[in-house]
Amino acid sequence: MVNYGGDEVSALVLDFGSSSLRAGYAGDDTPKAIVPTSFGFIDDPAEANGGDVTMGDAGATEGEQPPAPPKPKVKLHIGQNGPSLWRSGMEVGNPMHDGLIQNFDCVPPLINHAFSEVMRCSPSDHPVLITEAPWNTPANRERMAEIMFEEFQVPAFYIANTGVLNAFAAGKGSALVIDVGQSTASVTPVVDGFVLRKGLAHCALPQLVHAHAKHLLTNPTQTRQGISLVPHQLIANRTPVDAGVPAKFTLREDRQAGTTESWRAWAENHEVEEWIQSVAGILTQGWNDQFASGQGARHYEFPTGYNNYFTGMERYAVGEQFFAHSSALVASNPNLPKTIPSLIVSSIQQCDNDLRQVLLGNVVLTGGGSLFAGFADRLSAEMSRHFQHVKIHAPGNPIERRYGGWLGGSILASLGTFHQLWISKEEWQEHGKAIVGQRCK
Amino acid sequence: MAASAADVRSILSIPNPPPAGPSTQAKKPQAAERAKKPEGIPRELYALIGPTAPTLVTQFAKPRLKQKPNLGGTSTPEDADYPFAKYNVPATPYVYSQDEYTRLLEDSKWTKEETDYLFNLVRDYDGRFFVVHDRYEFPGRPERSLEELKDRYFSVCRKLVRNRPWAGDEASKLALISSLTYDKGKRASSLSYEVSPVNVPVAIDKEILRKQYVASLENRTPEQIAEEDALYFELEKLKENERRFKKDRDELLRTLCGIESGLPDISIEDDGLASAALDTKKKKKTVAGSVEPQTPITPSASNVIALPQPPPKKSAAKSAAYDALHCIVRTEVEQTAGSSTKAAHIPVHLRSYKLAQPKTAIAPRVFQLLGELSISHSRLVMPTRDNLAKFASLVDAAQQLVEIKKAVDKHEQDIKTSKARLATLRGENPEGVEGGDGDALGTPVPMDVDDGAEAEGEVDGRAQSVMSTRSTRSRKQGRRSMSISSVDTAGGPNPKRQKQR
Repeated sequence: MVNYGGDEVSALVLDFGSSSLRAGYAGDDTPKAIVPTSFGFIDDPAEANGGDVTMGDAGATEGEQPPAPPKPKVKLHIGQNGPSLWRSGMEVGNPMHDGLIQNFDCVPPLINHAFSEVMRCSPSDHPVLITEAPWNTPANRERMAEIMFEEFQVPAFYIANTGVLNAFAAGKGSALVIDVGQSTASVTPVVDGFVLRKGLAHCALPQLVHAHAKHLLTNPTQTRQGISLVPHQLIANRTPVDAGVPAKFTLREDRQAGTTESWRAWAENHEVEEWIQSVAGILTQGWNDQFASGQGARHYEFPTGYNNYFTGMERYAVGEQFFAHSSALVASNPNLPKTIPSLIVSSIQQCDNDLRQVLLGNVVLTGGGSLFAGFADRLSAEMSRHFQHVKIHAPGNPIERRYGGWLGGSILASLGTFHQLWISKEEWQEHGKAIVGQRCK
Repeated sequence: MAASAADVRSILSIPNPPPAGPSTQAKKPQAAERAKKPEGIPRELYALIGPTAPTLVTQFAKPRLKQKPNLGGTSTPEDADYPFAKYNVPATPYVYSQDEYTRLLEDSKWTKEETDYLFNLVRDYDGRFFVVHDRYEFPGRPERSLEELKDRYFSVCRKLVRNRPWAGDEASKLALISSLTYDKGKRASSLSYEVSPVNVPVAIDKEILRKQYVASLENRTPEQIAEEDALYFELEKLKENERRFKKDRDELLRTLCGIESGLPDISIEDDGLASAALDTKKKKKTVAGSVEPQTPITPSASNVIALPQPPPKKSAAKSAAYDALHCIVRTEVEQTAGSSTKAAHIPVHLRSYKLAQPKTAIAPRVFQLLGELSISHSRLVMPTRDNLAKFASLVDAAQQLVEIKKAVDKHEQDIKTSKARLATLRGENPEGVEGGDGDALGTPVPMDVDDGAEAEGEVDGRAQSVMSTRSTRSRKQGRRSMSISSVDTAGGPNPKRQKQR
């Protein structure tokens, strides 16, 4: 039996996200390895490229199924130099869809990259704590356990819920966790460290915001033409132009042939993401045309050299999608993802009356998507409109906000009292998959 | 530190002075240290380093700490008890056998399998019913409400505790049962509140009713909340107005009628006008009943601090029994309602401070009398209530005795002078004063006067009591009143001596 003080087991914590994979040692305050979840792969020339890219709903790359599951023969390009380096014939894939791992074939290489290449440690020496989305399926977590035990030979394993971990990272046992990621926004009621599955609400709202931004940029308006989102990898040279003037650039003709559709979509989405992060924002007190247009314009330059001033109307209309959909949009698309306030309301309504006050007094805002300028202020304004006595915990530190799930896992795995929960390799061999569901409630 | 007196001495080759007083202890280690001066270091340099600085000697020395750091190894044995395990208290698991189930726990709405499932869940989640309810998925059952689950669980536990042999005492069993009490609350058919499709007998119970209240509280629209707030403020304002009005009225009454109004000066908190009116009436009655004259009230007297009336004794019989049991004696506080003067006020005092005192005119003699009884007049060893009463009666009796004696003496003196005058008038021997004693024998003095009093006279009188000689009275008087001399002088009958005689 281990003692406090003697409870350091140097566990590894691994947090899968749609945009990045976070790995590090338990007890640290920042992950050691942050690896993009998207990866590039080049099919073996012998194999036919069966991938026919289907980018529905204005192209949300990370959320979509990878076109073709990479076969063992394919060459994977993972990490910082993965998809972002142009390679001839390289496709881009992402194992995540809807916050869950859908394609387990590429998970071992990703984990291996994070542990062996970035952290330079062997997972067979450390217990590993892995995170999962609150709506993860039992089959999924069993598969994950299998990968860890059978392929990585980990001595002990545990799979914990990101909702719970985010609550722990905020120092709370009971909380209403609002997690806005790259592909999914979710509202998770956590009570005493357990997720209330009935109150769980999630949707692909960030993808809608992204699509909206892309639509806004590529479609011509009264004042400007549609903007070309050609990534810098495909541009040979460009000349500086004044704001609003059509760009002057030359493409790299040698790369045109080798560029795949999936890579191009990934690269364009990357450009949109950059634009959103630099320019877009959210009005803190609800939508107001006059106020939005009163906000100053902001300058942004694309890789093509095209640059312009983006007015307040454009900038804030993007973020507004998180909180309200325009009536025209609602009329045209019946299957719109729910807005954040309606997610919260539907989640709270599923919870017991006695719990509502506890949850609303402990709202935790987390996820990289919540770093949208003005998000926290707008959320508190919206929530105080719907509920009384709301208290929102939103860490000001971007690291804490983005890697809240990892941080909670780091806290949990370093607790002396947690060690009795590890599923050891012996237990796995003895009981098989059933133990995962038993131990990780 | 650079150069102490000792250093100067050693530099100038002056021998150390003989050790004097407390400084010896301080110097000895210094000298010892100097003796350890390593070779090769100039003395001046060594002196500059001083004894406080970590010397080179200590730096050259081997480290004293032998313990090696324990890197990676476990310091405690593997099988040692985990010291914090005692805080990990598991909840009492309730299990039942098939037999117990069929005997006690049958319920038309629950199967044994489902009950088992519920108990497993409660154990798995440590009795967190919110989580249990969330994870509750029994195949082939419509969803159950949280209240139903709790009700089933606690009713089963109650039945088990009640019907099993209990090791502890009855009280702890009852306490456990009451801790397992759960008033689920059942839906009333008249209410539209529908939680589960199961029909339950008509009775509104606590839990569901409470949840309904909570729900209705939460479902208030902002307008309703605003309205409630406004109403609350309005009510507060009305209350405040009423309080102010009452205060004004009291002030006015007090100014006009003074104490007669019967109003306490410290305004009672707002316990309503009705009780205040009642109070006033009662007080008026007592004031009217008392014989004390009413002190004139000036308008300024309205702020005289009067003691509030003690509350009327309620359930006198009960409190009397209680008082007797606890040796509590209640004294009637004198009615001071009518008189607000300072003199009439009796402050709080100790009982022993209020010893009975005789009249000042005869106090010395009474004290003398008490002293003869060897009773201190100024303090009692045991100033209990009874003792004080006895003491008071004793003082009273002594006082009476002294007064009677005084009267007797006066009358005797009168008789004597009258007799002397009579004798002169008859031309008899004026010495007949002595003979008068013989007559005195015939006087109906109720005390036992000796026959031989005449003969023994003075001697006996003297011999009888030293006290008597100390009397301020004349010796003759003392002699004459020999039999009561002790009363006269010492202030009380001396029973011993009277018996002797």
